[in-house]
Amino acid sequence: MGFFYISDDGTVGDAEHGNAVVVLVAGGEIDYAVSPQLKERIAGRIDEGFTRVVLDLSTATFVDSTAIGALVSAATRLHDLGEGTLAIVCPEENTRVLRIFEIAGVESLIALHSSREEAVAELAVV
Amino acid sequence: MGAHLQQVVSHHDAPIGLPASELHLPARPAKLGAARQYAHEVAAAFGFDSDRCYEIAFAVNEAATNAIRHGKPDEHGCIHLSALADGDRLTLAVRDCGTFVACAGATDALAESGRGFALMERLMDAVQLCVSCGSTTVRLSKARA
Repeated sequence: MGFFYISDDGTVGDAEHGNAVVVLVAGGEIDYAVSPQLKERIAGRIDEGFTRVVLDLSTATFVDSTAIGALVSAATRLHDLGEGTLAIVCPEENTRVLRIFEIAGVESLIALHSSREEAVAELAVV
Repeated sequence: MGAHLQQVVSHHDAPIGLPASELHLPARPAKLGAARQYAHEVAAAFGFDSDRCYEIAFAVNEAATNAIRHGKPDEHGCIHLSALADGDRLTLAVRDCGTFVACAGATDALAESGRGFALMERLMDAVQLCVSCGSTTVRLSKARA
């Protein structure tokens, strides 16, 4: 199995009033061996009541179709909750991962941001 | 530009040349990294640059994922990867012992799965799906510039 990690990186904003942004970080190679972990981790935070989720993929070196499927699943669930949003952080330098997102054609469902600050700011004002 | 998926249904899965190398890969998700490494090494040895090697490894990963997820391993629990060179064209094949059944309709943007072939087609020059009873092979080809 390739190198992979996922971790929580805190929340930004007021969780008590339901407008906090939760930040997750996933890096390394995200393929079918680990995409179920990615899906479960995001689903767990949604189950806790968070509806604004940022996933930072700045250090991801590989994102396959099953990982994108996991993100689409999470984004669809958040969308169905009303004001929920999933934002992905992937800087311009990460051209290979960015290109896969572009080819996969999920821009209408999953917002891509070049920095975590930009993503958090975008979700915090929704 | 990407390729258009060719589906060939036959009773005999005829070889298209002598394999340059072959990998018997245990049909487990944890082995997908080995599939990518194999594809990358074959592509690099053939003379592709780093970005093309990545594209080829990505496409092979998608085909191997499908074989592990939806196909059937051989009696030893393996799927098979092979490579052959034909002039400036490199073809990597991913074979399992299942009988592929195509899903109807185009990929829905909201669907959780079903993007693998679309990605393969965009990243390779040609994608060929050969299905016979008890054998499914995906051939992924790319030519050197």
